[in-house]
Amino acid sequence: MHDDALPAPGPTFSGVPGASGVPGPGAAGAGPQGPAVEGRPGAGAPLPRGRRRPWWASALWRLLGAVVAIWLVATLGFVVLQALPGDPAEAAVGGPGSQASAAALQAAREQFGLDLPLPQQYVNYLGHLLRGDLGVSYGQKLPVADVIAPLLWPTLLLALCSLVLAWVLALGTALVATGRSRIAAKLASGLELVASVLPGFWLAAVLVIVFSTQLRWFPAVSDNSARGLVLPTLGLAVPLAGYLAQTMREGMLSALDSPFAAAARTRGETAWGLRWRHALRHGLVPGINLSGWAFGYLISGAVVVETVFARPGLGRALLSAVTARDVPLVLGVTLVSALGYVLVTLLADALVALVDRRAAA
Amino acid sequence: MSAALSETRPRAVVHRLARLRPGTWILAACGLVILLCAAVPGLIAPGDPLAIAPRESFLAPRWGHPFGTDESGRDLFTRVVHGTRSSVLIGVLSTLLGVGLGAVLGLVTGLGRRWLDAAGSRLIDAMLAFPTLLLALLLIAVRGPGVATVIVAVGLSSAPGYARLLRSEVRRVSRSGHVEAARMLGKGPVAIVWRHILPGALGPLLAVATLGVGQAIVWASALGYLGLGAPPPAPEWGAMLNAGRTYISNGWWMTVFPGLAIVGVGVIATLAGRRLSARWAGRGGAR
Amino acid sequence: MSRLTRSALAAAAIAAAGALALTSCSSGTQAGPASSGTVKTKTTLTYASGDAEPECLDPHVGGNYPQALVATQYLENLVSRDKDGKIIPWLATKWEVAEDGKTVTFTLKDGVKFTDGTALNWEAVKANVDHLQDPDTASSTGYLAFAKITSVTKGASDLEAVVHLSAPDSALLESFAQTWNAIESPTALKRSQEENCAAPVGTGPFKVASWAKQDRVELVRNDAYTTPPADATTQSGPAALSAITWRFIPDSATRYAALQSGEVDVIDNPLPENIQAAGAEGSAIKDLNAPRPGASNRIELNSGQAPFDEQLVREAFIRSVDVNAGVESLFKGTAPRSASALSSAEPLSQSWTDAYPYDLEAAKKLLDQAGWTVGADGIREKDGKKLTVRFPVSTNQSAPAEQSLFTQLQAGAKAAGFDVQISLLDLSSWYGALGKNEYELVSAPYTKVGPDVLRILYHSSGIKPAPSGYFANHAQINDPELDKMLDQASATVNDEAKRGELYKQAQEIIAKKQVILPIFDQQNHYLYRAGIEGLRALPTVNTPTFLDVKPIPAA
Repeated sequence: MHDDALPAPGPTFSGVPGASGVPGPGAAGAGPQGPAVEGRPGAGAPLPRGRRRPWWASALWRLLGAVVAIWLVATLGFVVLQALPGDPAEAAVGGPGSQASAAALQAAREQFGLDLPLPQQYVNYLGHLLRGDLGVSYGQKLPVADVIAPLLWPTLLLALCSLVLAWVLALGTALVATGRSRIAAKLASGLELVASVLPGFWLAAVLVIVFSTQLRWFPAVSDNSARGLVLPTLGLAVPLAGYLAQTMREGMLSALDSPFAAAARTRGETAWGLRWRHALRHGLVPGINLSGWAFGYLISGAVVVETVFARPGLGRALLSAVTARDVPLVLGVTLVSALGYVLVTLLADALVALVDRRAAA
Repeated sequence: MSAALSETRPRAVVHRLARLRPGTWILAACGLVILLCAAVPGLIAPGDPLAIAPRESFLAPRWGHPFGTDESGRDLFTRVVHGTRSSVLIGVLSTLLGVGLGAVLGLVTGLGRRWLDAAGSRLIDAMLAFPTLLLALLLIAVRGPGVATVIVAVGLSSAPGYARLLRSEVRRVSRSGHVEAARMLGKGPVAIVWRHILPGALGPLLAVATLGVGQAIVWASALGYLGLGAPPPAPEWGAMLNAGRTYISNGWWMTVFPGLAIVGVGVIATLAGRRLSARWAGRGGAR
Repeated sequence: MSRLTRSALAAAAIAAAGALALTSCSSGTQAGPASSGTVKTKTTLTYASGDAEPECLDPHVGGNYPQALVATQYLENLVSRDKDGKIIPWLATKWEVAEDGKTVTFTLKDGVKFTDGTALNWEAVKANVDHLQDPDTASSTGYLAFAKITSVTKGASDLEAVVHLSAPDSALLESFAQTWNAIESPTALKRSQEENCAAPVGTGPFKVASWAKQDRVELVRNDAYTTPPADATTQSGPAALSAITWRFIPDSATRYAALQSGEVDVIDNPLPENIQAAGAEGSAIKDLNAPRPGASNRIELNSGQAPFDEQLVREAFIRSVDVNAGVESLFKGTAPRSASALSSAEPLSQSWTDAYPYDLEAAKKLLDQAGWTVGADGIREKDGKKLTVRFPVSTNQSAPAEQSLFTQLQAGAKAAGFDVQISLLDLSSWYGALGKNEYELVSAPYTKVGPDVLRILYHSSGIKPAPSGYFANHAQINDPELDKMLDQASATVNDEAKRGELYKQAQEIIAKKQVILPIFDQQNHYLYRAGIEGLRALPTVNTPTFLDVKPIPAA
């Protein structure tokens, strides 16, 4: 469930070798330390080497990049709408199968401006988006924004809990995996490998059988209570933790190999202290860089997990919209998630910059 | 390592093979079994994956049915083995599509002028904002479910990752000494790209693509699980898991074995990808 | 990385498999019945539906089964039906069908108020008929049932509603008993459709308090309830339950797990093996079997185009598939095989077991006879055309076990030389495939009170798509004799015996023409926690009613 994890540590590191985020020991040569030092200007249009912008300029630059990305995302959405088979007017009055009359179709055409030239339609579409108008759901006959709004929080809550748990699990695994005990390290890296390819939907199903049906520790139907959140959070967090742990371990290992670590050792730093104080920070950076991707992963995973645990949320709404071919709702959820991705990435960039500054200081 | 690579004499090859670590051997053997299952499933499981026997439904694993039978009395072992082909095929095809698209985008941004790079990179960022499953669901909402849609969706969503990787590799290689030298010698840009830049940049891409195949398989099975992949009764792992979930109280084996197949292939592909990327990193590490 | 990782991996995998195996082994032992002593009770009940969440809680709009399920709790009808299929009083205390059958006069119960305070009178009946017939309401089920009504006028008093018909309609009372034709507050109907969809107002034992989309509908008791149907145990006063939480849990395994753990008290759409377990002695979960009325669950053969326009080929297909073996393996004895076009919930249902045998050899001979020869791949051919039959399956309407059954039939038919191509489709694509005539086989449920469903499904007028694009005669039977019989039956009022005879003959024609393959009743089971007393299905469309349910044991 995590295909786009591979080479994608967020928009910051576009121009940097080894920024692939590939969880693999081999990447050590071009390890994630690289990006931390070299990757700052980033954001798509790298500056000529050797020159550095002040922090506010690069922040502004990145903000601009985010705006452009959002605009492109919206444009891709428009392209999708144009690619819809059949009459868009028919779509507007209730989708294929609505069998609307010719008069109703004409009225819809005028109402939604479908008789205007395409560029004009495009401008209107962007205008609507700017005002938060995502169109009308075929199925529910309600504005898409109204359908999505009440579902945002349950999904975000689930995503947030999963992210926190994934971080905790990943940190623990990475600390063990870079530790002295070879057996423990092997075991930890084996676990993280299996976790990262574990299909979330499979895990969720198994969790229900074991912990709800048999042991009855947790409810099979999830709500926003603490007990109800445990199983879906686990189902989402474990595969994510596998990924984060791999990436963090790489970062930590290369940090421990660096001359700087050797220097620290000569100063009498203990192995544990070294890992905790220095290596961890270098493990954190690539981990934070994966945040944007992790956000997308969690939204994707929510589709399955929310269905299995009967949780109301964006993912479940998305799946039922897909089975009903409710394109405006599907597109709406996708656009909102893309917006979320861009925002999280911005935030992660800021965070990395902060960690880096402190590392440099 | 790189010196050993240039040796082509048979004895040297044998010598090198003998020096491979046992882990590599096991990995290669597992990979071979998977490929064998995909290429000639009949060799390993001679039965018909679609043959039903309603009166033998829900049999637990036993002699003759090592993985048990499903709700229609079909042999699960046969179905899992025969399912390898479609799963691997979906994984490979969507990765090829992703790598192809990614290569175009990566080369354009990596080699193009600054404005082209800026525009291309923004596009890559925008594409990255669509998580795989969401992109797939969007495509399915528009085009209807099916294997082709799954391949296109998974391919499309992996493309920006490959593009970004290739872009950075191309930039790294083109800054390297021997490319500079070739440029000084007056070689044309096409020749430089073809002879010098691509071979250096493709290695890491190949390694990542291997990892990608495993991930693509997991994604495709997720869509199959949601009932949006291959239509029944095709033996597809995700669809089999979907059935397993429905009949979970009838037989744990219907959930366990297809799931293990997905995890197994995912692990093998990931390990293979790591090995490959370790090798390429070793080669290119002298930057 | 190498060996240790791999063995760790293997160990993890084995552990996972073991955990699963272990848990399913122990799944046979359910928690026993509640121990003796005083049982704590509660008056709130949680129902978990596996049906699709309605887009509108008013069953006038559209009109499908999920709507009927929840609407039964807050809406009521003029009449009901008892277990024997007899029409009994509900909101109407009596009714009189005129000699010519063209007017029906309903006398309404006195002093009835909708939960918004509006009084029930003839104008309310008129407002509901008008609402159902208004194209803007977009009713399909209720609209079809009221097709013959021309107007509703005032009778001798405000409490007498006279329904005028364009032609006699022997199914009119049955139509008035359907939840899709329930009576809502005329005041509430005047609101916008959006408002009315969110909280329809009726006279039922409960009323809609709130609706959180994708999650639940909260229903609270109607304390001023006065209108139980004639066959209810509770004949005065409100329901004992104070509130019902109506949840939507699409995943069947999750739904059952929630019932087992006591998170919910009643579920619908259970899996066959869960129904089977509920039937066991001392089970903590009980089964209420309530097959949907109207049509049986059947596969229809499109006789309107090749290859099923030929009777021989239809006979061959029906004989080539072993339905019984599939039903037994998948439904574990919870779904008796049907040989009727009608649901067993219909008293007039007739079985024609001999018409639907499994006989592979006979099937092959019939195909030989029809000139279809076996090709290289085992699929038969004729004039260079393969014997391919398309079978679009709606994932919304066919449960997983049914889909598995179709897959089994597909494999069976292949042995005779049929290439059955199943495609799983969403609802609108499925309608699309039917509308474009891109099908040879189809399984389409149709729920209706009474045998008049035969007219809707098999009258030749049902071949031409209605303005809504929907057509019900998927078998595309075009038989003047059958049409005549169905029209006659529909016009036969005040003579139940003759009406019954006509429907029997109609069913015989349908069986002889070999255009349908009946499988079983439209499966409709409710599973509930043992200890819940008074739960029953309303014998109209067999939706559950909670009016008579006593306070339930706390989980």
